[in-house]
Amino acid sequence: MLIPRKVKHRKQHHPSRSGASKGGTQVAFGDFGIQALAPAYVTNRQIEAARIAMTRYIKRGGKVWINIYPDRPLTKKPAETRMGSGKGSPEWWIANVKPGRIMFEISGVTEAVATEAMRLAIHKLPMKCRVVKREEA
Amino acid sequence: MAEVSIKGTTRTEFGKGASRRARVAGLVPAVIYGHGEKPLHITLPARELGVALKESNVLLNIDIDGKAELTLPKSVVRHPLKQILEHIDLVLVRRGEKVTVSVPVHLEGKHDPDGILETQHNSIEVEAEATAIPKFLVLNIEGMAAGTSKHASDVILPAGTTLVSPENTIIVHLSERSTAVEEVAVAAPAADAAAAPAADAEKKD
Repeated sequence: MLIPRKVKHRKQHHPSRSGASKGGTQVAFGDFGIQALAPAYVTNRQIEAARIAMTRYIKRGGKVWINIYPDRPLTKKPAETRMGSGKGSPEWWIANVKPGRIMFEISGVTEAVATEAMRLAIHKLPMKCRVVKREEA
Repeated sequence: MAEVSIKGTTRTEFGKGASRRARVAGLVPAVIYGHGEKPLHITLPARELGVALKESNVLLNIDIDGKAELTLPKSVVRHPLKQILEHIDLVLVRRGEKVTVSVPVHLEGKHDPDGILETQHNSIEVEAEATAIPKFLVLNIEGMAAGTSKHASDVILPAGTTLVSPENTIIVHLSERSTAVEEVAVAAPAADAAAAPAADAEKKD
């Protein structure tokens, strides 16, 4: 599972969810990609689940790229705790994904296999997504 | 290289609001610059421009108030989701002038089926006459063996076109398919619980 080795601040503010992705909106490495259509915090567990869903479906063929990294901690206060007494403890590692971002890419497989693999992976992600193809210039 | 003529109008109002109004009206804000001349702010019809931009490095003959300007698209801004044109930068060119442009590379032939084809670069930079820019360049990958790469120097260049990108730029690499079945690590709940505070412990040290 993806997790930072070292962080500068163990507890951070919630990252902004407004706006669209400024970069990483084109398929850069593979032939097909999964594009986010809504903003979301994607946890490292969700990234891993999506990766496993794809690699299991494509078996030995093909290559998968993960373009997002869960580098931000999210904290949570324990249940039934009164307000105050400081910030909760880090609970999740998340990637702040904004609309338009290509999160996963795949190559080395046919379009039908790639589409099905990505459909399975999209089910593991917390937002609406679509499968996009590399733009042929 | 085909030339496309588009009628443009000079912009009189600027800024976010004016640009949004122009887009709603089916126009695309654009700027023309180059050759040391003063930048010219114009709007172009979105539909005609969208059709013209389907071809890479298309020569646009912009007619502004009866004066024709020959331009090349320098930077095209599209909406990340809707893919609609938001803005375009056009650079002035002259007939016979040599320009450096990025031209897409198309692959031809069948490679070794045991390898996975990884595209490193979709396009390469070449120098060509402004009116004779190739639509695309061809790279032959017929019989390419797994574990080998094709470089920019392997791309077939038409007459009058010279390579600007470094010759050793990798265009495609055919990586070897791994024979081992991937083991999927399923993390135990206890291991996960320990993973989250891993970074915390480091901070405390």
